[in-house]
Amino acid sequence: MTWFGEKAEFMFNSEWKQYLLALFMVGITALVCLPFVNDQGYHIVSLILFLVVSVQATFLGVGPVFLAASVSSLVWNYFFIPPSLTFHIEKAEDILMFGMFFIIAALNGILTTRVRRQEKLAHEKEQRTHNLFVLTKELSGAGNVDEILGIAIHEIQANFHTESIFILQDGNNSLNTFGRLRKDIKLSKPEHQVAEWAFLQGRLAGAYTDSFPECNYTYFPLPGARISPGVVALKLANPFSDEQKKLWETYLVLISNALEREFLAEAAQKARFLAESDRLYKTLFNSISHEFRIPVATIMGASDTLISGEHSEKITQALYAEIFSASLRLNRLIENLLNMARLESGRLSVRLDWYDIHDLINKVTGDLMDELKNHNLTIDMNEDLPPARFDFGLMEQVLYNLLINAVQYSPPATQIILGSRFENRTMIIQIKDRGPGFPEEQLQNVFQKFFRLKGQNTGGLGLGLSIVKGFVEAHQGNISVRNRRNGGACFTVAIPSENPDISNLTIEEE
Amino acid sequence: MMENETILVIDDELQIRRLLDITLSAKGYKVILSSNGREGMVDAATYHPGIIILDLGLPDSDGMDILKKLREWFFKPVIILSVRNSEEDIITALDNGANDYLTKPFRSGELLARIRAALRISDQRDENPIIQSGSLTIDLANHTVYKYDELLKLTSTEFSLLSLMVKNQGRVLTHKYILREVWGFGYQDQTQYLRVFIAQLRKKIEDEPSKPQLLITESGIGYRFGQ
Repeated sequence: MTWFGEKAEFMFNSEWKQYLLALFMVGITALVCLPFVNDQGYHIVSLILFLVVSVQATFLGVGPVFLAASVSSLVWNYFFIPPSLTFHIEKAEDILMFGMFFIIAALNGILTTRVRRQEKLAHEKEQRTHNLFVLTKELSGAGNVDEILGIAIHEIQANFHTESIFILQDGNNSLNTFGRLRKDIKLSKPEHQVAEWAFLQGRLAGAYTDSFPECNYTYFPLPGARISPGVVALKLANPFSDEQKKLWETYLVLISNALEREFLAEAAQKARFLAESDRLYKTLFNSISHEFRIPVATIMGASDTLISGEHSEKITQALYAEIFSASLRLNRLIENLLNMARLESGRLSVRLDWYDIHDLINKVTGDLMDELKNHNLTIDMNEDLPPARFDFGLMEQVLYNLLINAVQYSPPATQIILGSRFENRTMIIQIKDRGPGFPEEQLQNVFQKFFRLKGQNTGGLGLGLSIVKGFVEAHQGNISVRNRRNGGACFTVAIPSENPDISNLTIEEE
Repeated sequence: MMENETILVIDDELQIRRLLDITLSAKGYKVILSSNGREGMVDAATYHPGIIILDLGLPDSDGMDILKKLREWFFKPVIILSVRNSEEDIITALDNGANDYLTKPFRSGELLARIRAALRISDQRDENPIIQSGSLTIDLANHTVYKYDELLKLTSTEFSLLSLMVKNQGRVLTHKYILREVWGFGYQDQTQYLRVFIAQLRKKIEDEPSKPQLLITESGIGYRFGQ
């Protein structure tokens, strides 16, 4: 029997067992009944045998029950219907009895087993529907591709008792970079090539199929309405039965739909992101080309005039001054663009150290000496402020941008107040000007990238304040702006800063 | 004599070299231009310049290596010219023996002032124990400091800090260097000590402590004693 294979042999055996059991039960019943029955009681025996066959119908298959019905009718005839030990039946009513016994036993047995099988099928169907419901519910709740794969792999394991590997396409309709494969599983190269074939052809491949049956896995392309999400590989011990195949196809569609939904959502998000960055790109380039051209034009024009002829000392000096101020403006633009890039790259490192706030303010006001010369700058701070902890370069930019803003937006000869103090372990820096301030409804937009007030033409990319905010926040600090009561804007920067630990310093005598 | 000093410029940018050539020649300096590190080393050995202006970003080699090699035999001032956002590089360069630094873009007036200061220091490198700077007279031998002829009371740490700065007048000293020299090796990251002592010292020696003219802060890098 070896050529049947192990599985078939097992099936055959269990069938045999059922037949043997059926015969055994009939035999035992007949043996038990034999001593107690005289010629008069043989009708009772028929009822007992009938009972046995009916009981068998509740747990044995059709074949064994039919066999039991046939054998028990023959046994009844041979051992019990007079004359005993012959198949001969004398009375006509007994012949009728014998025929009816056989037909009723057989019918009863067969009908019972059929009801049982239908019940079983109905139960299985219900179970399948339930499983599908669970799968649908879980998949619809999944928020991303990884969650979908987690659910799918788990449900396939639970219902098909097989390992599954999902190989998803990379977004360019290709699996060639091993797609998005679960990290802990590695497919061999030939297996992966079969997966790719199945994906590209949209056809089944691998074990138990016509294409590449020598594979370990069976590859099912995931059907998609618009894009195919990829391929799923199953390691099957046996080919699917028809029932399983139907169920599996439903699974494939459900999982595939969920994946496709995520893929399309990702693509839509990507498109939105591209549109957004395209918009930023355009804004940036419009303003850059505009902002850069003005100082470059100034430098070109002024230097050209200087080169081309003799001018009075006064004009020459004025042209030099123009060139110098245009170059300062260019430098500021470059500085801001670089700072924006540092912020946007996400690689901004904050190097905290202890600094004297006076040094910070002296540095910035020194650099801005020319710009500040037409304004009345008042420094409002205590001489004895303790050192504070911050990144000098970043805070320099913060202060620089805030001051240049104040200078650009407020009329000459007005007062700009630069104040600093400590409050609850926080360093506060305030810059107040007497410019127009901001429209109340615009106050919350002031720190947005490319924000510029309408009708103002002071130059700049509208990056300055967003850089200020970014740098302040890199210090875990915050910045706010309000309008002053008698006109003008007030920016307040708050940077958390502990008091310095100088307890180890020995107190010295003078 | 100072104005006839030879200046070697090592910078790979043609436009910067040209600008420096015009600016420095106009002031009477003799200018040698090198466009890369290898050439610069040769020129330094050939012309014995009185000062070298060195760019840190050179095409053929790291400016830092050139600086280290130069410092094996070249003891005259080296001024670093570098692009912004390279504080760490500047600190390393100063620790490797550079005297001063300037970031690009720079104002030529500023560069000329730095060159003059560096040359003056290198010129008066004698062992005169009494140093005069503005209203301040510092007697290194007797550990006394006078301001407008009035004796100042300094603690010993304040005096070591001041004398270190004064001895290196015009030169940028990094935080680490100062902390190591004045407090010792274990203290080289304790910047807050330095801030406190500099603030104290400024109150005693500066005319206007919140706008210091003597103890000048080099933001994020260190201090320089001005003149």
